[in-house]
Amino acid sequence: MSPDDMVAIFRRVLETDGVTADTDFFESGGDSLMGTRVLSAVARAQGVELTFDDLLVAPTPALLADRVASVSR
Amino acid sequence: MVGIVPAFLEMARTFPEKCAIECDGRESTYAELAHRVRATARELGTAPGPVGVLTDRSEATVVALLGILAAGGVYVPVDPSFPAARRQALLEAAGCTRVLGPSGLVPVPTTAPDTAADGAHRASPAPEAGDPEAPAYTLFTSGSTGRPKPVLTPKRAIAASVASLRDLFALTPADRVLQFASLNWDTCLEEILPALTTGATLVFHEEAYTGSIPRLLRAVAATRVTLLDLPTAFWHELVRHLAESDEQLPDCVRTVVIGGEAVSPARLAEWRTRDTGRVRLVNTYGCTETTLITHAVDLHGPGAPGPGAWWGEHGGVPVGRPLPHVTDAIGPDGELLVSGPALALGYRDLPEVTAERFVTRQGPDGPVRWFRTGDRVARRPDGHLVHEGRLDAEIKVRGIRVDPGEIEAHLTAHPEVGVAVVVGTRVEDRTTVTAYVVPQRADADDAALARQVLRDLRASVPGHLVPHRVTVVPGLVHTAGGKIDRLGTHRRHSPAAAPSAPAEHRGGLTEQDNR
Repeated sequence: MSPDDMVAIFRRVLETDGVTADTDFFESGGDSLMGTRVLSAVARAQGVELTFDDLLVAPTPALLADRVASVSR
Repeated sequence: MVGIVPAFLEMARTFPEKCAIECDGRESTYAELAHRVRATARELGTAPGPVGVLTDRSEATVVALLGILAAGGVYVPVDPSFPAARRQALLEAAGCTRVLGPSGLVPVPTTAPDTAADGAHRASPAPEAGDPEAPAYTLFTSGSTGRPKPVLTPKRAIAASVASLRDLFALTPADRVLQFASLNWDTCLEEILPALTTGATLVFHEEAYTGSIPRLLRAVAATRVTLLDLPTAFWHELVRHLAESDEQLPDCVRTVVIGGEAVSPARLAEWRTRDTGRVRLVNTYGCTETTLITHAVDLHGPGAPGPGAWWGEHGGVPVGRPLPHVTDAIGPDGELLVSGPALALGYRDLPEVTAERFVTRQGPDGPVRWFRTGDRVARRPDGHLVHEGRLDAEIKVRGIRVDPGEIEAHLTAHPEVGVAVVVGTRVEDRTTVTAYVVPQRADADDAALARQVLRDLRASVPGHLVPHRVTVVPGLVHTAGGKIDRLGTHRRHSPAAAPSAPAEHRGGLTEQDNR
């Protein structure tokens, strides 16, 4: 999953175009409930079931995409 | 009315070998659980007063709850993930001198020397073991001053409510109830107590608490859970997930209980398309001060009327009729009033706030005590209540009641913040909390300040008190009378709140159920 794919997921969940690869989910209006949408979207796209803790330690599209890559490898 | 502990011990005699709690695959029988509950009660001694419990997702928290009740004490759950200062403040406000945690029973460390001495004799007077008016637990609701208000719930309230809930959920010993709710809010008692006083099994599963809906659904299927009790805000996300992933709810689930805020008609319509006709979807309403659930209605499933019976265009999805132990009334301003055995004793050590919310009025058979919920409701011709809004500024954040004043108090305590207001806006099925802050210093960098305030708040207060957005503004809007105008500030400064947006008046603001 490329960082661009993850940016697209963040944009959809946060309902804003102002997301880059380094946008922090929790500093851009994201909360734990919206986090479940990110996790569900990643599971659908990639078959990787991340947890909310993954999002807490990797809160940007770039970091979260890295995490998906390391889990699916 | 049979108390909670006698009802549980009766189940332990009837089904000693039956599984009471399954925790990540490990099973404890009713006999084993009763043994541990008695041991905890012995360790605490007679009438131990308020006892703090550092909760975790395990059998230990249930043992602590029932053990404290069995000893005649007052259960005070505290989230160990809260910042230390807040944990300490909660324990002191509840009058706890001892706290049960992973390292056993330890004294509460005291911040001020005189609080310690005071705490001991201020602890609730030792109640008679069987006195139904004795307090059973203390939970907290949001307070406008920044300090949460401790709600004292007596034994008779929890006994009356749990008896009604066993019937409402139609629980049997064959049921398996997932423990999902945070252990620090009263919803978890809806899961734990009806199950363990019926002979049913309470299920803990670590995958249920990961924030991942796919993992939750797998855990539910693997542990054959029959009853799920979910915050409405989370249920909205579950329905989205099922619809977008084209999945169904696991077959083992027969009842889904929801509550906490207004049900989205769009999510309800999607739910109906997910092959859920065999599943009871029960909408519920209640306040901490009126103990768990006071009103309920089957929205969908075997006991519900057909499509369109009551959801949709006309006034929103109902919160239902009063349960058998509840009497309700609607005040002249549309406020829902609740009376009956489920009323709390009041807010601990806050007589003025208690007198304001718990009022006594003359009834035909003598004085009646009512709780003023602060919720505006209307009663439909069929007797079901529809929630129409709040009489005050209270908002719901992911199902948790929040007084905006509590967040504002935390914001203004920040050294870089002068003044602040907090506004909740509801868009579709979600509430967004926005803070408008005026910097302390005129030369502040707005973007950097907003980021810093958000970060500092995340580090110092629980998640439900952290706004989604912090917007730095030059000044707040005041009313003609000179008071700070939350809505006016929001209207002036929110980019989304264009002057033409009429939803801004009432519909756009958070106006939800009070659970």
